[in-house]
Amino acid sequence: MRGALSGWDVIISGVAKAVQLILSGDPTVLQITFLSIVVSGTATLLGALIGIPLGTVTSLKQFKGKSAVVQVVNTLTGLPPVVVGLVLYLVLSNSGPLGFLRLLYTPQAMMLAQLVMVMPITMSITISSVSAIDPDVREAAMSLGASPLDETLIMLNEARVGLLTSVVVGFGSAISEVGAIMMVGGNLLGYTRVLTGAIVLLTNQGEFAEAIALGIILLSLAFVVNILLTILRSKFAGTSSYTASILVSPAESRSA
Amino acid sequence: MDLRTKLWIAAAMCFLVVGAVVVAYSARPRALLVIATTTSTVDTGLLDYLKPYFDQKFHANMTWLYLGTGQAMAVAARGDADILLVHDRVRENAFVASGNGTHRVTIMYNDFVIVGPSADPAGIAEATSTVDAFQKIAAAGASGNAAFVSRGDGSGTNAFELRTWSQAGISPKGKSWYFEGGSGMAPTLRTTNEKQAYTISDRGTWIKLQSTMRDTLNLQILYQGDNGLLNPYGLILLNETRYPNIQSQLANDFFLFMISDEGQSLIADYKVNDQQLFKPVFGKPETIGLPLETAEIEYWVAQLEANGMKPPSWVSANLGG
Amino acid sequence: MPLVEMVNVSKSYGTRAVVKHVGLKLEEGMILALMGPNGSGKTTLIKLAALLTRPSEGSIIFDGVNTECGDGKLRQLRRRMSVVFQRPALFDVSVEDNVSVGLSTRGNDEERIRTKVEDVLTRMELTDLRGRRARTLSGGEAQRVSVARALATEPELLLLDEPTASSDPRNASIIERSVVESNANKGTTVLIATHNPHQAKRLATETAFLFEGEIVERQSTGALFESPKDERTAAYVSGRMA
Repeated sequence: MRGALSGWDVIISGVAKAVQLILSGDPTVLQITFLSIVVSGTATLLGALIGIPLGTVTSLKQFKGKSAVVQVVNTLTGLPPVVVGLVLYLVLSNSGPLGFLRLLYTPQAMMLAQLVMVMPITMSITISSVSAIDPDVREAAMSLGASPLDETLIMLNEARVGLLTSVVVGFGSAISEVGAIMMVGGNLLGYTRVLTGAIVLLTNQGEFAEAIALGIILLSLAFVVNILLTILRSKFAGTSSYTASILVSPAESRSA
Repeated sequence: MDLRTKLWIAAAMCFLVVGAVVVAYSARPRALLVIATTTSTVDTGLLDYLKPYFDQKFHANMTWLYLGTGQAMAVAARGDADILLVHDRVRENAFVASGNGTHRVTIMYNDFVIVGPSADPAGIAEATSTVDAFQKIAAAGASGNAAFVSRGDGSGTNAFELRTWSQAGISPKGKSWYFEGGSGMAPTLRTTNEKQAYTISDRGTWIKLQSTMRDTLNLQILYQGDNGLLNPYGLILLNETRYPNIQSQLANDFFLFMISDEGQSLIADYKVNDQQLFKPVFGKPETIGLPLETAEIEYWVAQLEANGMKPPSWVSANLGG
Repeated sequence: MPLVEMVNVSKSYGTRAVVKHVGLKLEEGMILALMGPNGSGKTTLIKLAALLTRPSEGSIIFDGVNTECGDGKLRQLRRRMSVVFQRPALFDVSVEDNVSVGLSTRGNDEERIRTKVEDVLTRMELTDLRGRRARTLSGGEAQRVSVARALATEPELLLLDEPTASSDPRNASIIERSVVESNANKGTTVLIATHNPHQAKRLATETAFLFEGEIVERQSTGALFESPKDERTAAYVSGRMA
């Protein structure tokens, strides 16, 4: 049927357009892509900086209401982005409680929205990764006279693959998020427009080929980040020096 | 302990990076103007066309929020935009009446068209009025020969559509031939195209979509030209006392720009596929059957003059000056 | 003064009493073997001595210090001993790094750590395996690393819970030799739980027999096997008990 054929046409011309946009270094596309990386990257970094320690402490300590906390965090990973966006908009709005911060329609508001969604993810995956560590290992650390901080660091090192995964998953969900950042960012051209917002706009305006082009760029971005972190993961999972593992400079394997 | 030190350094570096990023992107650029407007002014490309002229003349950065009329007005009512440009007179008047807006004028209009499959199963090409066309569609729908796709999103277009159904004495909600998409004009047209149904669209988006979709758009304008299909756009200045944080000066500049000779000519000049999408109408609302806006017009002509700008030629003629 | 003294120590998990009214004295520099059938409470007793768990009743005194104290003080006491569990429980890092953990947590500087690690790796014939990821080792090798990790800190008290149960003869002999050397050269006090009477005879001057959470008998190792005083002990050493 003609409809089906023209569908493929659009996708193929979208791919062609993507190549053209990337090679020509179109400034608008570059700017939008750069902003996407910055916003999602920062949100993921913050989400990890907050979520991983919180998750580790939650997992290692026994306290009243612990299972409730874990349940809540796990549920929050399914927060609908649109709802987050709406609530955050109402809060940051001029007539909202935090309106005086003048954060609405800024990149920071978008980072905040994505942070709200990334944090439960990193925390939840951290909790399950750390909880999955062999309890004997924890006992071994204790028996070696490790202080609580050392013990925690040892646990973090044991769970390092899981923690890295949490960052990857967090970034993936951040970079592809669209509802919340449009509500609090406003999708303003040259200022708060990122790849996902631009794709929505182009789709709404019927510019399908361009929308697909940007979609391909977005996918490539996620792909590159994934590859980088996979390389990191394999280095982590291989022989690595205990003292250097945090700063990712694994010791050379000295055995044959 | 070595590892501990390295960890603190790593964490500190991360926070520094985050802090630097946050600071670098902080504070809205001073001259950013945020217009709360509807999808039709954006989709048609009108604002993109006007932007370089406005930006240059006022050393500003004109941006806009791409929303449905309902959301645009809600956002403006919360003081989150600097100026409001929508096309729903009933709600516009209510907005001004509530005190959220201080000044309102009609600045331009386009018209709606009813599109449908070329076979025209409802026979609306012979309709005598918009209401009659809607009644014909409902009848054909009831007998399973036609369908109607509504935007269903509280937009100005949607409001117009619902008022027309009401005038025709029909309540289409829930009927098997009535589909509500909850989305913008272009997606609604695409859905209509897929279903080979009827819908009502503003001419501007219709023309824009025609030029994008070309052969794949299997719909035609079947009914148009009725005075009842005119779609006027109102520009509303927000109450700067109620919203002290908005860019009221820039908003004022934008208002002046849009009603001035230059702005109104640019609106008239904007063409897609050699077709004019919007017709400027500041100062002469009565020509399209709207009530007079004499007080506003007088106020703004004075404002224009005070700012060294000229009103459109027909306004000067009217005021004999 | 004995290095470790348990006074009327009991440990229950819920309603289940695992260790009952145990009185034990471990003199400095001695090697005591702990024997008993499965489920007799050997592992729990080791964990109690290692201060990894607190007794439900009674008290444990280490070097004259009552261990009913705060976590901080307890940790200080723990740093004077080392434990080798039944399963190696190595960290997911290299062999070398595993061995150095105990030294790092005690705040030694890099130079000292390197020297001591080198020493222990050599003594336990682990220099070839030093860079290998610990998780890739065989059971016997891993247990050897576990013992190396425990010995690296030169503990005053060494606790071992069936350390060679799943090791091949070579690994077992290296482990045993290092325990004996540590005791002979550095005066390390040793408490070793074992199922192997030959091992007990090789290593320990005295042996205690644990049955259903109680210490039934304790004698010099030779005497325990040749002329056990209690019939339960007799049943165990002659192989009639599980």
